[in-house]
This record gives sequence, structure tokens and C-alpha cells, in this order.
Amino acid sequence: MTRNDRKAALLFFAPAAVFMVLFFLYPMALLIRDSVFDSKTGTRFVGGDNYVNALTSERFYLSLYNTVIFVIGAVTIELLIGLVLALLLATGFKGSQLTRTLFLSPLMIAPLVCGLIWKFMLNDQFGIINSILYRLGILNSPHSILWLSDSKFALFSCMIADVWLTTPFMMLVLLAGIQGIPGSLYEAAHIDGAGRSQRFWHITLPSLKPVIVVAVLIRMIDAARSFDIIWILTQGGPGFSSSVLSTMIYNAMARYNQTGYASALAVLFMLAMLLVCGFFMNRVWNPGKKEV
Amino acid sequence: MTALAKRQRTPATAVVMFITALFAAAFLFPYLYLILSSLKRPEEVISSSPTIVPSVFTLDNFRTMFDVLPIVSYFGNSFMTSICSTAISVFLGSMAAYGLSRLHSRLGNLFIMLTLGVRLVPLISVAVPMYRIINRLGLYDTKLALVLVYTSINIPFVIFMMIGFFDGLPKELDESARVDGCGRFGAFMKIILPISLPGLATTAIFGYMLSWNDFLMALMMTSTSAKTVPVGLSEFLTAYNLDLGPMTAAAVTFSLPVMLFSFAIQRYIVSGITMGAVKE
Repeated sequence: MTRNDRKAALLFFAPAAVFMVLFFLYPMALLIRDSVFDSKTGTRFVGGDNYVNALTSERFYLSLYNTVIFVIGAVTIELLIGLVLALLLATGFKGSQLTRTLFLSPLMIAPLVCGLIWKFMLNDQFGIINSILYRLGILNSPHSILWLSDSKFALFSCMIADVWLTTPFMMLVLLAGIQGIPGSLYEAAHIDGAGRSQRFWHITLPSLKPVIVVAVLIRMIDAARSFDIIWILTQGGPGFSSSVLSTMIYNAMARYNQTGYASALAVLFMLAMLLVCGFFMNRVWNPGKKEV
Repeated sequence: MTALAKRQRTPATAVVMFITALFAAAFLFPYLYLILSSLKRPEEVISSSPTIVPSVFTLDNFRTMFDVLPIVSYFGNSFMTSICSTAISVFLGSMAAYGLSRLHSRLGNLFIMLTLGVRLVPLISVAVPMYRIINRLGLYDTKLALVLVYTSINIPFVIFMMIGFFDGLPKELDESARVDGCGRFGAFMKIILPISLPGLATTAIFGYMLSWNDFLMALMMTSTSAKTVPVGLSEFLTAYNLDLGPMTAAAVTFSLPVMLFSFAIQRYIVSGITMGAVKE
């Protein structure tokens, strides 16, 4: 490659780079700077005080814990339902194409609208969910589960909404993965006399492993970052029972105007994400260490 | 197709179809219920013994929606900011992806890593300093602010989606275009972009969805004149009276066109979703 080509390639990249620097890297630098200045005026250097405040606050650990529970809970349910659906659709029955298309629909819905829909359905006064459970004889009264205002259920309700919104993503990705498995593998197994469940455990699942890992990683990142659904459904409440890191940062910022503290929380959040993803990619997804 | 698909019709197929239908019903129900509720009479929406099907079908909620919300201006803002940011980010992002794809240097790889890393950053973290920059530029509550913010969020995503696409195009294409007298930029505009239309379409759809569905950035960057539909919608929850009837109408108006459009172009959407996770 000549120097001229090199220059041309850089010129192609320059406009996008300007955008990324101005509205992504510079804000990140500003974030780190803010995190070591005081929350009230933003002008007094306080060193690690904001970090110490965050790391010694009970609410931080509660939000961290809730974030982890939310991510693990939601992604596990999504993976299980998504896998079942993908396996069902992969049988290619008449109408499976149409069904796949129908499952696309929640993917197009804004997380905010998803939050509104579930807020509406889970309402303890006029929500349809309690009403249905009551009519099915599962509940004694249509108002007995306070999905959003009982601290036992609030985080779980947010998970339900997230599962509804993103299981179709899981399903589509896994379905594409299943359809990419060469049919000859199944034929060979069939000749060798492998039953349905053996074919699943020894062919489908191992061949699907890389796809599952990537899909779970993508979903974990997005679930950890999610804000809209939880904000609309519970705003992190009641109390702090469904407070996750993103709602905690938003509260510190927008409600209490604690820029320094919010920035320190945000930096900690990003570090945690980097650590978890780095660990995940190294341990589970290291292409060099692949078993298959 | 897998061998599973080749198997013949058995009672098992009926069971599979039945279970799938159950799941499909469960997943479609919330949205159908939203649509049905939007067609109820406003007071029926907040009835304490809700029914699924409206007792009377009416467009009352849609009518009140126009009275309680400046909905037309919200839609205008949503539409303008999404279209502009998608157009700019797809154009600049694919230019960058093309440059990176042809450059193959350490600096280029660093930027590719960076575009991936951006996905790890919780938007809430950059939202705060972005807000301050926008404020300092005097752009608070303008559509331009949202366009700038969405463009910069979208660009790394566009680069990520398009780089694989350009890597797949033979270098001889660029060269033959240049032999025919195009400049580098001309070759990109006249040869590379038109060939990449399917990839560009997929990327643009996802970029548009990201801007159209965004709530957080719009919540932070706007107050009155540049407010988008999601922010307007969220205000139904803080209102003193529970205006849920018009809320359902507005939610349907906001999401249904996108939903119907997505069925028409589902091929692109499926390819976009599976692009990142499943290598062909």
C-alpha cells in the first residue's frame, strides 16, 4: 500500500472520527474529569471522594446486586424460551415462516412503549394480568398482586417486560444458528441410531455453542445497560427494591444534581462492564481455545 | 435446511405447532391488547374489571390524543431527527468503514476495537457529559442537538455493520473504477455504495430504529420545542389524572407504522439481527 492510499483511507475515516471524538471520546474524558470534582459546584478537586462515597454506600451495592439479578434472570429466561422456540420453528412445519415473522414484532417496539404496555397490564387496579389470573382461579382477588408497588415483585416485573421485548432476538439468532448446522451431521447420527435427544445433546447444542455465547453476551451487555423499561415501570422503586445502576446514575444526576457522584458511579459501571466482558470473552469465547 | 425439516408430517408436528402457537399467542397478546385498548372508550381503558375486547369500538382516544398532546409536533421532531441522523451516520459511517477496510493498519484496528467498545458503554454514562457539551454549545432543546447525538451513537454501529460488507468486495472493483477515470471518492460514491445497497439498507433500518426508539437522550436533551414522541409518551405517567386512553392511542400511533413497515422488509431485519452473532 502506498502512502497515498494510506492518506486517502484516513481521509475517508476523518469525518466519522471527528464525530466520535467530539461526541463520544470527549464526553468520556469529561466524565472521568467530573468524577474527581465535587458534586455541588463541579469546580473543587476532591480526588477519589466520589468513588469512596459510592463504594461505601449501601445503595450502590443494592443497585449492583439488582443489576446482576436482572441480567442473570432475564437473560436465562430469554435463552431458555428462545432456544425452545428456535427448536420448534426449526422443524419447519407449515406456517413456521409466518410465525417467525410474527415473533419479529416485539423487536420493533421501543423499550419505552414496552414499559408502558407492561405498566398498563400489570397495574393492580385495572391491569389485565391480575384480572386474567383471577378469572383463571389462580388469585383470590384481582388486586392481590401489586406487581409494581410490592418490593418483592418490582424487579421481577421489569424482567417480564424485558423477556417479552427481547426473547424474539434470542430466538432469531439461535434459529439462524440451527439452520447453519449441516444436515449431513444429523443424517450420520440418524444412521448411527442416535435418538432425538441424543442428536440434540451431541449435535445441536455443541454446534450451537458459539452462537449461544455471542447471543448471551450481546443480551447481557444490553440488559445491564437497560434504562427505559425499568424507569417507566418502577423508577427503581418501591424504595430501592428495583434500583439498578442505570436508574441510580440517572437519579443522582437528574434528580439530585450530583454530577460528580453520578460520574463516579458511571465510571465504576463502565469498569465493571469491561471486566465482566473481558472475562467472558477470554474464558468462554477465546477462539484459540475452542473445543469443537 | 436441517434434516429436521425434511422429516415427514407426524403427530409430533401437530404438537410442535400447538406449542408454538401458544408461545406466539403469549408474545403477541401484549401488543394486541394495547391496540384493542386504544379502541375502547376512554373510561373503559381504566375500568377495574378490564376486558380484552372493547365493548364499543371507538376512535375517541385518538381524538383526545390530539387535544392533550402537541402530538403532531412530537412526531415531526421524532421523524426529522431520526431521518437526519440516520442519513448522516450511514453516509459518514460507511465512508469510514470503507477507509478502514482498505487501510488495514494498526491505527485502523484500534478504531475497530473502539467501535466495538462503544457498545459496552452504558448510554447513561455518556448522556451526562453529552448533555453538558450540548448545553455549552447552546443547542439544548434543539433538533440539531438530537441529530448530533444520535449521529455519534450511530456511527460506530454503522462502521461495525459495514466493515464486513466492504471487506467482502474485491479490491479490483476500486481499481477498475479508478482506471475508468473516477477519483477515490467518485469510485466510492458511484461503484462501492450502489453495490452495497442491501447492507446499507439493513444498517439504515437499525440506525433509524435506534434514533426513533430512543428515550434517554431525548429526555435529557430536550424540554419543549424539540421533544420527541417517547418523551411525550412518558409524561402520561407523571400526569395527575391517569390519561391512559390517549396514552394507548399515542403508543399505537407511534409504534404501529414501524411494525407494519418491518413486516414488509423483514428480510433485511432478520439479516441485520443475525449479522453480528452468526457468521455465514
